[in-house]
Amino acid sequence: MNILADIISATVLFAIPLLLVALGGMFSERSGIINIALDGIMIIGALLGCHTLKWLDPAVTAGNLGSQVAVMIAILVAGVAGIALSLLLAFSAINLRADQTIGGTALNMFAPAFSIVLTWAILGQGQTTMTLPTWVRIVQNNFGKEASGTFGDMLVFKSLYATHFLCIILFAAAVILLYKTKFGLRLRACGEHPQAADSVGINVYKMRYAGVMISGFLGGIGGMSFVFAVGGFQSEVAGYGFLALAVMIFGNWKPWSILGAAFFFSFFRVIGNYASSIPFMPKLSNVEGVTTYLWPSIPYVVTVILLILTSKRSRAPKAEGIPYDKGQR
Amino acid sequence: MAETTNKPTKANESEYVIEMLNITKEFPGIKANDNITLQLKKGEIHALLGENGAGKSTLMSVLFGLYQPEAGCIKKNGEVVKINDPNDANMLNIGMVHQHFKLVECFSVLDNIILGVEPNTAGFLKKKDARKKVLDLSERYGLHVDPDAIVEDISVGMQQRTEILKMLYRDNEILIFDEPTAVLTPQEIDELMRIMRGFANEGKSILFITHKLAEIMAVADRCTVLRKGKYIGTVNIADTTPQELSRMMVGRNVNFKVDKQDMEPGEVVLEVNGITVPSKLHKGNSVQDVSFNVRRGEIVTLAGIEGNGQTQFVYALTGLDKPTAGSIKLCGKDITKMAIRDRSKMGMSHIPEDRHKHGLVLDYSLEQNMVLQKYWDPQFQSMGFIKFDAVREYSERLIEQYDVRSGQGPITMARSMSGGNQQKAIVAREIDKDPELLVAVQPTRGLDVGAIEYIHKQIVAQRDAGKAVLLVSLELDEVMNLSDRILVMYEGEIVGEFDPKVTTTEELGLYMAGAKRQER
Amino acid sequence: MKKSIISILAAVISIVAGLVLGLVVVMATGSDAAISWSCFTAMLTSGFSSMAKLAKVLYQAAPLIMTGLSVGFAFKTGLFNIGAPGQYLMGAFVALVGAIQFQLSWPICIIAAMIAGALWGALPGLAKAYFNVNEVITSIMLNWIGLFIVNISLMNMPKMLPPHWVPSPIKDRTASLKYANPDGIIPKMGMDEFFGSPYINISIIIAILFAVVIYIILNRTTFGYELKACGHNRESARYAGINAKRNIILSMCIAGALSGVGGALYYLSGEADYNILKVLQANGFNGIPVALLATSNPLGIIFSALFISYIQVGGEAMQPHFATEVIDIIVSVIIYLAAFTLLTKGLLSKVIKFNDGKDANAEPKPAEKNTGKENGK
Repeated sequence: MNILADIISATVLFAIPLLLVALGGMFSERSGIINIALDGIMIIGALLGCHTLKWLDPAVTAGNLGSQVAVMIAILVAGVAGIALSLLLAFSAINLRADQTIGGTALNMFAPAFSIVLTWAILGQGQTTMTLPTWVRIVQNNFGKEASGTFGDMLVFKSLYATHFLCIILFAAAVILLYKTKFGLRLRACGEHPQAADSVGINVYKMRYAGVMISGFLGGIGGMSFVFAVGGFQSEVAGYGFLALAVMIFGNWKPWSILGAAFFFSFFRVIGNYASSIPFMPKLSNVEGVTTYLWPSIPYVVTVILLILTSKRSRAPKAEGIPYDKGQR
Repeated sequence: MAETTNKPTKANESEYVIEMLNITKEFPGIKANDNITLQLKKGEIHALLGENGAGKSTLMSVLFGLYQPEAGCIKKNGEVVKINDPNDANMLNIGMVHQHFKLVECFSVLDNIILGVEPNTAGFLKKKDARKKVLDLSERYGLHVDPDAIVEDISVGMQQRTEILKMLYRDNEILIFDEPTAVLTPQEIDELMRIMRGFANEGKSILFITHKLAEIMAVADRCTVLRKGKYIGTVNIADTTPQELSRMMVGRNVNFKVDKQDMEPGEVVLEVNGITVPSKLHKGNSVQDVSFNVRRGEIVTLAGIEGNGQTQFVYALTGLDKPTAGSIKLCGKDITKMAIRDRSKMGMSHIPEDRHKHGLVLDYSLEQNMVLQKYWDPQFQSMGFIKFDAVREYSERLIEQYDVRSGQGPITMARSMSGGNQQKAIVAREIDKDPELLVAVQPTRGLDVGAIEYIHKQIVAQRDAGKAVLLVSLELDEVMNLSDRILVMYEGEIVGEFDPKVTTTEELGLYMAGAKRQER
Repeated sequence: MKKSIISILAAVISIVAGLVLGLVVVMATGSDAAISWSCFTAMLTSGFSSMAKLAKVLYQAAPLIMTGLSVGFAFKTGLFNIGAPGQYLMGAFVALVGAIQFQLSWPICIIAAMIAGALWGALPGLAKAYFNVNEVITSIMLNWIGLFIVNISLMNMPKMLPPHWVPSPIKDRTASLKYANPDGIIPKMGMDEFFGSPYINISIIIAILFAVVIYIILNRTTFGYELKACGHNRESARYAGINAKRNIILSMCIAGALSGVGGALYYLSGEADYNILKVLQANGFNGIPVALLATSNPLGIIFSALFISYIQVGGEAMQPHFATEVIDIIVSVIIYLAAFTLLTKGLLSKVIKFNDGKDANAEPKPAEKNTGKENGK
């Protein structure tokens, strides 16, 4: 039973970054900009979020600052950092009409390098690993309860972070924003037919900036939630930004489908992680490196297979990746 | 910012509701509008006549706020206004139905109508009232639409009605129609004219952009003519003739009739039997059981409204797509499953519908495009290495012979050439292959009269040389002038066969709209 | 002429901007401005500071030329080969297995690496051609999958690892070729003595030959004509009877083969052992800036690879004060700027007034007419 609780809570835990980042990608692509820089955005978000936590650590340990207040500050910093990096993409893709994939690739290269250089500068030469303070996790104590060790208790408190609650709110907000508001209607129009949007007086550039910035915000927070999931930060997010893009494609650029896809992918990730402790999985004890390399490859393999299998029904926003030029109609 | 204070109902009485005075708009290297003046009276239908490339669309884009002119001013009811973007135009009650509809295809009709002026509370959409208003308007003007239908599923006619409702929903008083009849059947055109007349009678002012003289004579009160970016004049329709208008438009007398001798067709070149192509958009077929043949020395035309399966049929015929049933024979040989290259070698030439999508590699030079169908021929390569001299020589000959004009001759990038010359290059390439069958799909779309005449002559010359020609055209004038036989396509099927000497455009229109069909 | 001058100028501007930002980062994160400055100048000059350093620049440039050609070749055919790291890794793996496990000589190992890279490159090509799956996402997934396959394979191939050849306790890297199979090492032809460095070998010459061959294929052959036609406009290529699907797959195969050779050239030097780590090789990714800097021109790629190699060797001179990732920051800025080379070029051609008459691109859109006549002969 313990392992079941572990798997479920871990699936939720790893689904959160995928969901948030894929939703971010959705907003960007629905506005017409391919945001391949999400991996880099996650890294920058995680980087600054982690440093914020480290900076707030003394205050929290001394009891001057509520632990979850500190966490929320770090998450906010992560989101803002994500926006900052996304603006670089927006500038090159929207104002300069540059190739969006290449611009994104540059940012993906920049983010981990910057992260390592900055971490060296702050922590000292050769230091690249950032650990999380223990107070970050939400435990029974935060609700004035004792750990009971029951199944439900394990399930809920095994690994509970503020991002769990935030994720629910952000998902609901994303659905409403995309489908129920004037903003969402206009954003979607820009990704499908920017000339049509322009002809009814919608500023396509502004809407695309908004789409990219939302993706930066969600990507940054997603980076922070990734750190919560793996328990530390080493200037990389294991390609989760790209997995999230696959989740978005698999989810057909629609929030509810993305939700399903995120959990589906996360489940495979967790199966990979827990494979050695799941009874019916083959043990392969005579093979070296199974836990380090074989099981963790599962989500990547599944991604490729699923992308191929679902390619037929996939429907990307029509104008994504195409720079909008007001002069050309 | 726009001046919103002038309502057309105000006592501020100028004779003109909109005046565009001495408008000049330049693009790098070209004056699209050179000192053009256009004055629109309240309640009139004012036609704007000119060839493709005469500057009509640019002028309207200036009025609609999409372009800023270098010189000149716009007046609304006698007062100068500045129109920076479509929002300003909308606030001045100017609306426009674009030639290429500006509709988001995966949105509903209602969403498309409200886009940009969404009724909302604090940003949240409130569609209920909007739906009622749309339904009222649609009732009142006889513009039938289904507000919840998705645009990509509805007919071109309904898409146009959606565009018109977009203007009415915004309470626009000045309505611009940019080439609205290109996609309609003759009957639908009559209906549109009636609706436009109705708007004018209500006091709305209409700008009607077209290059079709008959429509102007039928519906317009006055007409302004542009030629090569310059203002030629404004005339009262009551005091003019189609001949005069056409002379103003082209600058010389034009003979719209194509000279064509009667000819007895020879043996069958193309034999199409029961071709069926499944649709990419819906579950049905976009081409259904199409059979016909084309003989030497005749031009057979596939006529029909855009989107009735002509494109898909041509794709199947030329090998760009696969039919699920039926067979195609060229010169007696079954080519149904043959590769595109092999069809070409068998003697099929294809002037494609979309010269940018298919006909040219825009980022290749003119000479590279000239050998696009032949670069593999030993004439142009040996052991896989291109013979650059031979390519140059060959393209220089074609350029000379077919009078293809470009900035730097063979090394000009295809992208930088004018539409007419791009099309001439394609025609040269395809005809010089000396084909058995020439498939020409909308070969004159978007071209000026000179280029149209030239291409028509080339097509007729092919026929006279004993080639088989399959023409696909949406322009009824072209269909009537060029064809030896006319096949009408409706919803993927051939619904009638006609002799152009006997039939009329009205009759064709009934078949094109699906109102009638022959048993074949 | 005008075009290539502008391309080179645009590249130089990107490089200068990248270096300036690198300087800013070094100054901002360093504790002592004087040390930062000396580190930065060391980085800039290190590559030419000695023959041995120069040898290292040339040695590292060879795989970069190969991955640069790989990315550039795919670009020419309209594909973004971000899968170069995976193909490079596959090439390296197969070359090493050939040399160590099977005791093959170096030319055969290189050919084997070429085939391995081609196969790994073919996968995203197939997915793109037959299922229209974005090659970028599949390539990135395949990079990771390739890494996992290579690492787990090596861990389970005892013949590949040190105790089998050398009595060494370090099991996380492949055995040195010097002990395992000297025949597997690419010949040095006396260059090592000339430069006074063991790194140099004929790999740089092999890479340059590949660049010339690729240049000829792209610019002189019907095959290149077809590939570029597909890259510019897949639909019109199809219309012309070119098998676009086959060309996509072929182009990815060739791109993969080039990267695969790159991996072989690097690891068959005898001076580098493959380190079993959960990290993708930078030489693969660096093919992207190499190709972009040279606007995918195969001959230009030789020079841009030399440049990237130069600053990477320079990066080592910054340690221990700064992480070598400073170089990655510089390179990323270069890519970012290269992404809008078109714009930079547009500005440049305005600034530099070459007098060659009217610009043929003068028209706002091809649908407009007139200019044909004005420019006509």
